[in-house]
Amino acid sequence: MAVLKINGEDKKFKNAVPATLKNLLELLKVDEATVVAEINGQVVPRGNFHNTILQDGHKIELIRFVGGG
Amino acid sequence: MTKLNYEQFEAMLIERHGKSAHEKLKSATVGIAGLGGLGSNVAVSLTRIGVGKIVIADFDLVEPSNLNRQQYFIDQLGTNKVAAMTENLKLINPYIKIDGHQARLTPDNIPTIFSDCPIIAECLDKADQKQMLVETVLNKMNNVKIVAVSGLGGYGRSNEIQTHKISDRLIMVGDSTSGIESGFSLMAPRVAIAAGHQANAIVELILES
Repeated sequence: MAVLKINGEDKKFKNAVPATLKNLLELLKVDEATVVAEINGQVVPRGNFHNTILQDGHKIELIRFVGGG
Repeated sequence: MTKLNYEQFEAMLIERHGKSAHEKLKSATVGIAGLGGLGSNVAVSLTRIGVGKIVIADFDLVEPSNLNRQQYFIDQLGTNKVAAMTENLKLINPYIKIDGHQARLTPDNIPTIFSDCPIIAECLDKADQKQMLVETVLNKMNNVKIVAVSGLGGYGRSNEIQTHKISDRLIMVGDSTSGIESGFSLMAPRVAIAAGHQANAIVELILES
């Protein structure tokens, strides 16, 4: 069992957490163009989502944007 | 026409807000990224209460489709929004300093355009542009705070628009779901509620810093 804390809530994974931040967003069906992501308080630039490795226990904030202004 | 000179205008603000709050507002500089429904309403609020300087940026012109929610007038159609907004704000408070940039915001020009601003309001329209601005500010502008909006479409559900402090540098306003891509239209009342939350969060940041 592996866990990511996403926006304050534990999300459990049977074997391992998704390999990268990009993989996690795909799993959650979140369009990466509309998300600001933080891991353990550090902002991850969108261009680095594909090579940002996730680890068991990471605290992740996903700030999602919808259009309108 | 009756006029208020600078001393009279300032006396009015001090009478309303108290000297201490007035001095903080007067010495504040706030960036407003985008001058649509959010930005034009945030700018009007901050101008009315005597924020000393605002830095405004937008690339667009005033169009007929803006008039259902944005603070422009029919005779300003076709004018660039920065010039039109500057004109309208100066009618409200002739003493505010306005630094206007008619520009499309990019990760490269954002830190330069808003270099004087310890607080920035995210007032863009498209989700990916909002993402770009917030990421750029958090990553490239040390200690700068940003108040961003996600989810303000439609009508009713006034109390679903909320203000959440995500971190010391990021405040999020909105219901996080009512986007234009889901078919919600943008209407003056609910856009103004979100802009009011945003301006109010900025005032709190200024007065409690």
